[in-house]
Amino acid sequence: MIYLDNAATTKPDEVCLEIAAQYLKQKFYNPSALYAEGYALHKELVKTRSDILNTVANDRDFNIIFTSCGTEADNQALFCGAKRGNIVTTFGEHSAVYAAANELKERGIEVRFAPLNSDGSVNVQCLLSLIDERTSLVSVIHVNNETGAVNDVNAIAHAVKAINIRALFHSDGVQAFGKIHFRIDADIDMYSISAHKIGGLKGTGALILRKNVHIKPLIYGGGQENGMRSGTENVFGIKMLEYAAIKRYSCLENNLNHVKELNSLLRQKLDEKLFSVISEDSASPYILCVAAKGVRGEIILHEVNDKGLIIGTGSACSSNEKKRYSRVILACGIDEESADGILRISFSPETTAEEIQSAADILNETVKFRKEIME
Amino acid sequence: MESVIIVRYCEIHLKGNNRGYFERIFAENMEKALKGIKHVIRKQSGRYVIEEFDEDNGGQILNKLKNVFGVHTLSIAKKVRSSVDEIFGAVITVAPLSGTFKVETHRADKTFPLNSMQLNAEIGGKLLGHNKNLRVDVHCPQTVVGIDIRENGTALVFGNLIGGVGGMPVGTAGKGMLLISGGIDSPVAGYMMAKRGMKLDCVHFHSYPYTNMQAREKVEELAKVLGEYSCGTKLNIVKVTHIQEEIHKKCNGDFMVTLLRRFMMRIAEKLAIGCGAQCIITGESLGQVASQTIEGMTSSGSVVEKLPVLRPLCGFDKNEIIERSRAMGAFDISIRPYEDCCTVFLPKHPVIRPKINDVLAEEAKLDVEGLISEALSSLEIMKI
Repeated sequence: MIYLDNAATTKPDEVCLEIAAQYLKQKFYNPSALYAEGYALHKELVKTRSDILNTVANDRDFNIIFTSCGTEADNQALFCGAKRGNIVTTFGEHSAVYAAANELKERGIEVRFAPLNSDGSVNVQCLLSLIDERTSLVSVIHVNNETGAVNDVNAIAHAVKAINIRALFHSDGVQAFGKIHFRIDADIDMYSISAHKIGGLKGTGALILRKNVHIKPLIYGGGQENGMRSGTENVFGIKMLEYAAIKRYSCLENNLNHVKELNSLLRQKLDEKLFSVISEDSASPYILCVAAKGVRGEIILHEVNDKGLIIGTGSACSSNEKKRYSRVILACGIDEESADGILRISFSPETTAEEIQSAADILNETVKFRKEIME
Repeated sequence: MESVIIVRYCEIHLKGNNRGYFERIFAENMEKALKGIKHVIRKQSGRYVIEEFDEDNGGQILNKLKNVFGVHTLSIAKKVRSSVDEIFGAVITVAPLSGTFKVETHRADKTFPLNSMQLNAEIGGKLLGHNKNLRVDVHCPQTVVGIDIRENGTALVFGNLIGGVGGMPVGTAGKGMLLISGGIDSPVAGYMMAKRGMKLDCVHFHSYPYTNMQAREKVEELAKVLGEYSCGTKLNIVKVTHIQEEIHKKCNGDFMVTLLRRFMMRIAEKLAIGCGAQCIITGESLGQVASQTIEGMTSSGSVVEKLPVLRPLCGFDKNEIIERSRAMGAFDISIRPYEDCCTVFLPKHPVIRPKINDVLAEEAKLDVEGLISEALSSLEIMKI
């Protein structure tokens, strides 16, 4: 099976799994416990926090709050960062931010959505024009999870602060963390990450939070994570996140070059009469969004699945028109026919060129066959 | 004081010499519904009594029996010896704490010293003395306290009746093959026929890869809901993708649904005959969509050679169907937004009033028997 849906989740790293087993079988103690074994784990986690933080920020200016997933981190940023007045976000956000923003609207906070450019990145001028002195929070996705478009969140955060220095700036970095070159600059206050997109395990995410920013917790209880996220720490998941993050950052450049080559190879091999490429060259090479002309994405997904290829799609066999097309893809201004055929192909450093060659053959053959039948 | 459940049945009491047959199947269906729960079903004149169950399971038994076709009403009752004091002791446990009531006695044992009116007055008077918040209203009481004096020296005392689903016991009116799509209508159509005593097998047509696994799972769940009423069912799953592709390729696209329905009917008839079903059931409602005109039904029905096609929803409005779908617990599953095979290759302007000659001319372009055999080779059968 060729797995090209790495933006959905990645195969867990083998070493990560060995680490997990160690923390599940031997070091299973509660890090908040007072006995030596628990305290030793607590000390380990102190170092782990620094190690993870230092991959994209520094532990002098930032704290890390471990959460159950990227979605929880995004929810904490929005629900605990938004105040009365308004918040500004984009039409290109992952549902973790988009749905949370809509819930804030239900709770009486004005939510302003900035439009997208055709590649899925936010239209920065429009975004900035929505910000005023009553804006409490701005949230902009770092790498769009459907098109791979990269928003320059450091620059956007800087421009936001120039308009309203009190507005908090959050970015969902789930598809960027461990994949592209990036360090959190002075103007980003919150940044969400997730473990299972980089070889860790589902069930672990984190919100990186600037030290002088005071927000309330989303989950209350025993006061773990300095009171910012109660609940016994998921030690094995956190250790896996640490290992995966350090591994990804230690060979970031090599991985990036490798994935760029794969991305470029697939672009070349896909029959341009059958596919139009939605992702721009400037997008994260880990994600390639293409549209099969005239064939619904989910039909292709099933058919290539039967032939041994796993990919993602941006359209579903839904009888509900509103749910059929991806909200983000439509927000890019892409017509409904192309939106119907959206496929998301996403790579990992483990993906090989041979796999890409086979994947291209399967995709070309499948779409050609299906197109002939449907026309 | 033992708790029992009284089960009263519907039309069975109107039956003559074959009443025993209906009662036997009714009792078997109740046994199936209560499988795994400790109980004993005892037949009494004109009704059944469920006894010897654990007190904690009373609510569960009631819920299960409510959905057995043939059940008119149910009551949780207290079983006591036929003495005024013991009967009153039981009445206190079933009587309301406030509001209006009346007592209704039925005496199967005519040797009981008080007649029905006298016992009503005696127990009613004692109850008023026991609870000052109660008042008697013999015309429109909020609660009726029932007392049944049985012939074996026992009495059953119960409060308000709980309504059952009515109908006739499943298995007393033959077997049908239901075309089930995943929408709102077809499960209701199956429910309506099961309500009149018909056993059901179902057939579902899918168009993978145009339809997905979730759509199929939805149909499996709907069949499961239906099976709770129809004493189980079998789900036949047939892939019709190639039939649709052939119609799309060779025929006038406006006839897609009309032609596809004819294939479905033919396949359903073959499956029905194979499993001993005596009719085909569809969820069609006259005029609801383009294929459900009288001409559309004539076209699809005309290929069924040996069996009748029953359309129990034909005269129902959509709202009435939705109401029944909700009541049977299928609605929330039916509205999950997965595409079914009828919407694949859907023409913009489907033929609304197909003329049979036009349909035959379009169909002549296809290898009908070959396509049916191919579709049937994909058959999967699930016991629900």
